[in-house]
Amino acid sequence: LFLFCVVFADNNSTSYIGSFKIGVNVDFCLHTGGNYEYILVEKRGEKKNVGFIQLNRPKALNALCDGLMKEVGQALDAFEADGDVGAVVITGSEKAFAAGADIKEMQNRTFQECYGGNFLAHWNRVSTVKKPVIAAVNGFALGGGCEFAMMCDIIYAGEKAQFGQPEILLGTIPGAGGTQRLTRAVGKSLAMEMVLTGDRIGAQEAKQSGLVSKVYPVDQLVSEAVKCGEKIAANSKLVSAMAKEAVNAAFELTLAEGNRLEKRLFHATFATDDRKEGMTAFVEKRKASFQDN
Amino acid sequence: MPSFIWCKTIQWADWSISLAYSILALCLTSLTYNNISILCKNRKMMERTGIFHHVCRIKYISPPQTAGGGSASFCHVLVHGQHQQIRTDRRRARAASCSRSNFSDVQSAVMAFLCRSAASLLKPYRAAPAVLSAARLYSSGGNYEYILVEKRGEKKNVGFIQLNRPKALNALCDGLMKEVGQALDAFEADGDVGAVVITGSEKAFAAGADIKEMQNRTFQECYGGNFLAHWNRVSTVKKPVIAAVNGFALGGGCEFAMMCDIIYAGEKAQFGQPEILLGTIPGAGGTQRLTRAVGKSLAMEMVLTGDRIGAQEAKQSGLVSKVYPVDQLVSEAVKCGEKIAANSKLVSAMAKEAVNAAFELTLAEGNRLEKRLFHATFATDDRKEGMTAFVEKRKASFQDN
Repeated sequence: LFLFCVVFADNNSTSYIGSFKIGVNVDFCLHTGGNYEYILVEKRGEKKNVGFIQLNRPKALNALCDGLMKEVGQALDAFEADGDVGAVVITGSEKAFAAGADIKEMQNRTFQECYGGNFLAHWNRVSTVKKPVIAAVNGFALGGGCEFAMMCDIIYAGEKAQFGQPEILLGTIPGAGGTQRLTRAVGKSLAMEMVLTGDRIGAQEAKQSGLVSKVYPVDQLVSEAVKCGEKIAANSKLVSAMAKEAVNAAFELTLAEGNRLEKRLFHATFATDDRKEGMTAFVEKRKASFQDN
Repeated sequence: MPSFIWCKTIQWADWSISLAYSILALCLTSLTYNNISILCKNRKMMERTGIFHHVCRIKYISPPQTAGGGSASFCHVLVHGQHQQIRTDRRRARAASCSRSNFSDVQSAVMAFLCRSAASLLKPYRAAPAVLSAARLYSSGGNYEYILVEKRGEKKNVGFIQLNRPKALNALCDGLMKEVGQALDAFEADGDVGAVVITGSEKAFAAGADIKEMQNRTFQECYGGNFLAHWNRVSTVKKPVIAAVNGFALGGGCEFAMMCDIIYAGEKAQFGQPEILLGTIPGAGGTQRLTRAVGKSLAMEMVLTGDRIGAQEAKQSGLVSKVYPVDQLVSEAVKCGEKIAANSKLVSAMAKEAVNAAFELTLAEGNRLEKRLFHATFATDDRKEGMTAFVEKRKASFQDN
């Protein structure tokens, strides 16, 4: 049992030496889908290098409640710590990715509770993950669900996907980045229209406007997203994190400063073994073998 | 029917003033903006002052407006067919500055006095029926030279502004932009209106700024006079504005459309920034908004070559959000306005502010602003009503509170 603990500890970057059997089991369960109330968690791909999170509140059309977002945060923490996982895919059901935030939870809140309790503070956990995250959106991604998808790095949509920000119809506004990310993605006119009328757009229009990058048939969406995750996971995790940081900085910095950050990160890749391995493999016309170092 | 006000004396004794005041009040409340002839009885005095020769026909008195937000207020008065602008605030009444005025101080003071009384009568703005009709006239299409203004939609909750300079293909001149600003002010103040639709004709939304107006300007005049300063009024409106673009939206017209929140295009719409062909550059946001909308390559191409894009390309590139057949465009835009006007005006203004902030802030700061506004919606009644209605599966009834 002790050996089992040690072996398991080696597989993670966090140390579980001295953890008890129950702790080990919990840890094992955390990785393989048990112990979550609102989500299903597993690892997919041939090499099991793609973390997979499925939102699982079918009766509520995967409406995002505080508990669900906390569990998603925990699953992401686990995948971040997992040395095997190179990318994460998040999806919902075929009918709905996430049909919004839980209105019943919010209905009776006051401004004081919201501000004082920093409502929605941890909901952006997925936007702070270092590993690339792909949202595979089938069905409805509305309100908080659309915002959640937009926090991910890449969005793949099923043909029947619907995106919208209908908060205005409830007398409120998007609160988790909807007005910001949607506008940057689809432009002012369409974003204003969606936010002010609550109207939805379909998968094709989402692709044309730049919100999603690929549209697949409903039954192929998740497997295609996992394939994309595998492609990403085949690269150096260290350098992928730097690439992702540079792309995200485009929304925070002016062009000149963004270019400077990118250049500094680019120079920094020359301090990594993976960069040398990758370029050498290219020159030698062989497959690179990255060590995330 | 003309009514006569007898100025009993020109000696400006208090009792005569108050008598004239009361007579004027009586006449003004009963007869809206009819001809008021003022005849002064004291002929000698009149001859001395010259008033006798000027039978003042106050044909129209506009509601008092403040110019530039200062303490001065003006009445626009048609006197002898000449448009005079008379200050009505007490301090300056004596030295009433009438533009292009030939009147002596006394005559000016008479007219200022009349205007002041008219102004004080018009102050209970919403109460006096005479005033209401004037306001309705002003905001519902009357009295504009370059635009047509009305309210549309089933519930008359969509403000409608149509640019109306057909001979000039709706070229934007200073006067037109001023009138658009006035109409927008009126709609902002109107509690019924929830959204505004701006359109042109079927042939042209606005084919540019008025070149003849600009042709001989110097840099000094532009900089010193802050040329184009008030042209961005439509971008500061709190209520959502939809531009329904049929035909040409070129140069200033394209910039004007891009200042609006939403653009709907007719199938034959054309967008372009041809200022470069005139030896100048876009000056009202064209280079900024176009680049943010369609991306660098297309924006550079349009701005540097003057080439136009059609409606379909505008939609694909993100400049407009919908394309409709030419004859359906305006009604579809009004439908969109009605959808927006059905929501809470207060919260719509916050939503609009958040979306616009995406162009001013970094993503992190924009998210923070949005979150603060989102938290703030929890202090509104409309938010509670909206969410409660959702949970109770009924239609929400917003009070803009």
